[in-house]
Amino acid sequence: MTQPPDPRGPTYRLPEPPPPDPTGWYELRRKARATLWPPRDIAWAALLAVAVSAAGLYGLWFQATLPGRLPSSTDWKAVAAVLARDARPGDAVALAPPWAERAREVLPERLPSRPEVPLPVLAYPSYAEGVEDLPGISRVWLLSLPDAPGGAGSIAAQLAARSSVVEGPVRIGRLALTRNDLRAPLAPLWSLSDRLHSASIEGSAPAAREVREVGFLPRSCVLARFPGPGAEPLVLRLPAAPLGVALRGHMGLVGDPSGGAPSVSVRVKVDGVELGRAEASAARPAWIPFTVDTSRLPPTAHEVTVEIVPSGPLPLGVCLDLVALP
Amino acid sequence: MNARRTIALGWGAAVLVAAAATSPSVGISRDESVYVEAGGSYARFWGEALRAPSRVLELADRRYAPNHEHPGFAKGLFGLTRTVLHDVAGLTGEVQGSRAGAWLLAAFLAVVLALWGFDLAGPMGGAIAPALFFAVPRNFWHVHPAALDLPVTALLLATTYAFWRSTSASRGRLSTAGWAITSGVLLGAALATKHNAWFLPPVLLAAWLLGSFRGRQASHGPASEGAVGVVGGHRFPWALVAMALLGPVVLVASWPWLWHHTLPRIQGWLGYHLRHENYPWMYLGTLLREPPFPVAYPFVVTALTVPAAILVAMVGGLAQSGGRIVSAWRGRGPEVSIPTEWLLLLSSLFPIALIAWPTVPHFGGVKHWMPAMPFLALLGARALVTTGRRLWPARAAAVTGVLAFLALAPAAWQVAHVHPFGTAAWNELAGGAPGAATLGMQRQFWGDAAVAVLPAVNIHAAPGARVWFQETTALAARQYQRDGRLRRDLTVASGPEDADISIWQYHQEFRDREFRTWTEFRTTRPVTGAYLDEVPLVQVYARPGAWR
Repeated sequence: MTQPPDPRGPTYRLPEPPPPDPTGWYELRRKARATLWPPRDIAWAALLAVAVSAAGLYGLWFQATLPGRLPSSTDWKAVAAVLARDARPGDAVALAPPWAERAREVLPERLPSRPEVPLPVLAYPSYAEGVEDLPGISRVWLLSLPDAPGGAGSIAAQLAARSSVVEGPVRIGRLALTRNDLRAPLAPLWSLSDRLHSASIEGSAPAAREVREVGFLPRSCVLARFPGPGAEPLVLRLPAAPLGVALRGHMGLVGDPSGGAPSVSVRVKVDGVELGRAEASAARPAWIPFTVDTSRLPPTAHEVTVEIVPSGPLPLGVCLDLVALP
Repeated sequence: MNARRTIALGWGAAVLVAAAATSPSVGISRDESVYVEAGGSYARFWGEALRAPSRVLELADRRYAPNHEHPGFAKGLFGLTRTVLHDVAGLTGEVQGSRAGAWLLAAFLAVVLALWGFDLAGPMGGAIAPALFFAVPRNFWHVHPAALDLPVTALLLATTYAFWRSTSASRGRLSTAGWAITSGVLLGAALATKHNAWFLPPVLLAAWLLGSFRGRQASHGPASEGAVGVVGGHRFPWALVAMALLGPVVLVASWPWLWHHTLPRIQGWLGYHLRHENYPWMYLGTLLREPPFPVAYPFVVTALTVPAAILVAMVGGLAQSGGRIVSAWRGRGPEVSIPTEWLLLLSSLFPIALIAWPTVPHFGGVKHWMPAMPFLALLGARALVTTGRRLWPARAAAVTGVLAFLALAPAAWQVAHVHPFGTAAWNELAGGAPGAATLGMQRQFWGDAAVAVLPAVNIHAAPGARVWFQETTALAARQYQRDGRLRRDLTVASGPEDADISIWQYHQEFRDREFRTWTEFRTTRPVTGAYLDEVPLVQVYARPGAWR
């Protein structure tokens, strides 16, 4: 017979039974915690030993594998041969990563079949639409080092996004070559740089077609220097220039202008009427785009005037280019 | 000879031999070309002054005028070694002869590091500490040039070591006064090498003052030879008094430029550095031009240039040192010398923190905080030795040896791999030179990499060609010619406009000069180049017909 518990008598609270631990995980965790905290000297020593060993082994792996991740001279020669064979007018080579400028030394500077046609090598950090117009280029050969430390970045995706056909990549050793046929290549009617020889020039500042640094990158442009304190404006006049939907321009201060450098203003006039204006200053040391709408003008030749007006001396100069979009 | 001296002298000899063997392939940097010329001028002063002592002040004005924005001790040493090895013995060219002075100071640094490493952590500490310093590729590169950064690092380390010996019970053969006088003389030599030595006495004083706070650390054990942590009484830092008295005397005595018009010239010297221009410098894709500069700069650059495993050991050493102080404060580390720990900690961190100050010019890679590196090496070596002792007391040397191998092997590999382009060395965390180029870090400095294309220039340049050396100075070009490294018929051009050949050295801040070359030469195609892991360091352009 079972005696019922006395409701007024003493009660005893037994400890909770340990949770079921069929895998031993809780016990392992308890022991690990007891071992590691508070940390003892041996734990710190073990931690440092593991960290030094891991870093050392990674360093050995890095040094051992680095040469194998980079192209050999044979790879460069092979890719140069491919481009010499397959490139055609309107092609350019884009480098990814952009620092891989050994390509300039190895690749043909001009098409072997047509030596009057250059094969430009571009090393821009971005090829996104709206960032680089790529005037006069219809196909871009992306030459990348896919295994190089730091990677090739997002250049391939940017080019693919503005291409109708993407062929490749073709691996050539540690190099990869991808052909991108641009969906909407920009084929200008003319450019100011090309027409500079036929332009009339007013002002004492010298103007010449040059490649100069703007925002760290090479820009082919009309360079206007304003060395003296007078800083007289420079006026370039194209007497009979055909126009399409727009004039597309870029401008920037050359080199590494200090914060106190003067600013410069560019005014674009068509048949004497100002249709557009852009400003560049040391606070915006970049290749500044501007667009002048000419779609409502009659499709005849017009006088296009470009006035470059500095606010002070600019001995390194202003880099300016302007193209007529069809 | 005891083990301590054997290790120290062995390291000194090894560094001297390695520096001499690997130096010829290292190019002449901008500052070195000036110091070599200045050293030659200073050496002539001493010869002429001995012959005509009555004209000594006039001679000092003339011979010490070159590069008087930096003091005369190290450059005088370069001039002395050049005189002995080049002018008298004919054993070396003038540049290598000048560099021998720098190698001697590098060997001196190795000796002091080995001695102090031994004092801190026994024979393994003495063996490992110099290795942790010299296996950093940028430190190894700085062993070679006749420049000021490694010499002042060596002298600051030695001064600090003498200060430590003077304030601890570990005096060795010298008395407290002997070590104090030694530290005063060494500080004078450091001051007479580079102006950053002025910052040392306040750091030493701060370490001594901080060390006087002992928390619950009750008493100190008996003094014993060479044993750190046994302070045997925290002595008054007489060394600081000796530094205050002897430092300026040695500075003036070793720099004849100060032998008259002393105060105005000291004022001019220090004023020049207080108003030093800010050279543009690339850092994470941004060209640093004007202050305020990023505080993280020296920490990030250190983390990306010191080989990863060495970096881990050094950080571990810093943590250990901090932990020892806290432990002693809590009364759990009777053997810990708190002043010693503060001395090592502050000496490791202050040079980096100084450059982190946002208005201090940020350029020159790691060289401006290189005085921190020997102390980080000491702490790293002690941490590795302690780790070995803790993990397996019976086989402590073996464990430490394995850890040291893992820390040093990849670093030594990298040293060999990047040589002679040490200023372009980036560690595995950065991804080496390619990874650093992608990150937008400074690719190199200043003009030494041109040496790699000189053989090609000698072969291919048209006779009498005008060469624009860009970052390499005209002085350096003439030094190459006098040492037979560059054809004598080639002349120095002042820019691409009057050059036939342009030796473009990649500097983002000067990129316009390369594009001017494209315009002038009507080509974008280099004729040759020097690359580190495919990253262009130097590219040579030539006008049609100038490259054969």
